Amino acid sequence: MLRDITLGQYFPGNTVVHRLDPRTKILLVVLYIAALFTANSWASYGVVVVFLAAAMAISKIKLRVMLKGMKPLIFVIVLTAGLNLFYTRGEVLAQWWIFTVTREGIRSAVFMAGRIILLVMGTFMLTYTTSPIMLTYGLELLLSPLKKLKVPVHELAMMMSMALRLIPTLIEETDKIMSAQKARGAQFDTGNLLEKARAMLPILIPLFLSSFRRADELATAMEARCYHGGEGRTRLRVLRFELRDFAALGLGLSVLAAVIVIKRFSL
Amino acid sequence: MNEPILKTENLCHVYSAGTPFELTAVKDVNIEIYKGEILGVIGHTGSGKSTLIQHLNALIKPTSGAVLLDGRDINASKDSVRQARSRVGLVFQYPEYQLFEETVYKDIAFGPKNMKLSEAEIDERVRISAQFVGVEEELLDRSPFELSGGQKRRVAIAGVIAMMPEVLVLDEPMAGLDPGGRESIMENILTYHKKTGAAIVIVTHSMEEAARHAGRMVVLNHGTVAMDGTPEEIFSRGEELRSMGLATPVMTDLSERLAALGVKLPRTVYTVEQMTRALLELERGCRDAS
Ligand SMILES: Nc1ncnc2c1ncn2[C@@H]1O[C@H](COP(=O)(O)OP(=O)(O)OP(=O)(O)O)[C@@H](O)[C@H]1O
Ligand SMILES: [Mg+2]
Repeated sequence: MLRDITLGQYFPGNTVVHRLDPRTKILLVVLYIAALFTANSWASYGVVVVFLAAAMAISKIKLRVMLKGMKPLIFVIVLTAGLNLFYTRGEVLAQWWIFTVTREGIRSAVFMAGRIILLVMGTFMLTYTTSPIMLTYGLELLLSPLKKLKVPVHELAMMMSMALRLIPTLIEETDKIMSAQKARGAQFDTGNLLEKARAMLPILIPLFLSSFRRADELATAMEARCYHGGEGRTRLRVLRFELRDFAALGLGLSVLAAVIVIKRFSL
Repeated sequence: MNEPILKTENLCHVYSAGTPFELTAVKDVNIEIYKGEILGVIGHTGSGKSTLIQHLNALIKPTSGAVLLDGRDINASKDSVRQARSRVGLVFQYPEYQLFEETVYKDIAFGPKNMKLSEAEIDERVRISAQFVGVEEELLDRSPFELSGGQKRRVAIAGVIAMMPEVLVLDEPMAGLDPGGRESIMENILTYHKKTGAAIVIVTHSMEEAARHAGRMVVLNHGTVAMDGTPEEIFSRGEELRSMGLATPVMTDLSERLAALGVKLPRTVYTVEQMTRALLELERGCRDAS
């Protein structure tokens, strides 16, 4: 079912990782990505993997759930690995028709595929353990210096959190309308392309109508509660860095440092 | 008793199996629906009513168990699914949000058209079903989006009735309407029932409506069938119903209170008419005794 999509979903929990300040987690992901792109050896990849595995273990996010979320990306990963495998020059190990496999090719295929997988898993860690509200709040705070440059940071964050909020609703609604039309004998998987496109109309029209209605109602509800933009707006939950945030950031920095050191001295 | 037209066998449904959101919405449900009966389904919010009824025309596949239409599993093949979709009509909660065509006529015709009926048959069905739900001919050429909420609801119900289902399943068809609207939609459904002999399954939160119209009732509690019987049998177990977060009809409450005061009514009552009759009987009884 549509609803089983887990890409970018939040899995509520009450672990240290869940409780970290969203800003910390966003910064950690930035550090993690920097480390990942600096890494170029088994040892440095090892450091990154250990860091990720530790975060997963602490937050009780199962590997199975992550891999399931990665399904849509399998094609990209395989393609990248394939290109690297066959198009890297070096010591030839095997040859068949136009394909040549080299020692360097295997190495770079493994590293590139590993890099994409680790990159995605790292960002999943952020969205799996941080509620959308907290995520946008964190982003808003991190980007707030841009307000000086007249960037409407608050408004952008508000739009983002509303969009995030409405995605599950929209999916649910699509599901419901599809069921209702199926109950009237509609079929979505038969016929040629044109027929398939036409078959979507009974879903799209009600969906558009209800989205507009919802947007309108939301705007009215916000106005009724005196929403007038970010100016002078206060928060129910004020974010404050705790000891654990400093500890986590320290850990993230040392991972990056370790990777840099390993690269520098090619350990 | 005759064979049930539709029945479920140990029906279970688990949502989002294998994720942290796993939830068993329906568990070991065995219900039977007989030709020409009106079955009321009640249960607290989240008890699995909507999940259960979406199994009845194969919109959701059971996690385990089966749904049998005339004794055959409806999920057996593509063909049996299609059969079930046209023989078992399902009206969702707030069906007016599914309207999409330019005119009321076209929207009602959507179902029959998917059944590949001829133009003439489609036309006949549209007109008949519009009549069933009290939508006037003039409205057929209007856009469904210009209608009032109650009218939209009627058009949406007509869209399902137009498929002439042998079992008509309705998920809270009266939700969000005023008393007049509720009454008249219920009457439309009853007319369809009487004229075609179709079995009706109606999910409702209103004990009064269930009591008045249903010949038999099923009470769901946390995804399992807690009670299955005539309204009389079910409402005589008021205490249990209340413990499941359900109410008994007002008249049943009243009779229970009278009983507490020592006034024993001759039988279980759950409608105003029954209460009137019971009280009159009681009075006559007293007069005869004195
Ligand atoms: N598509 C879905 N995915 C996951 N969980 C669902 C889904 N649909 C329903 N549920 C859950 O299954 C349970 C039963 O829901 P269902 O809609 O069948 O209840 P209901 O008896 O119809 O309630 P109501 O009276 O409020 O309509 C609820 O806990 C609900 O949250
Ligand atoms: Mg429901």
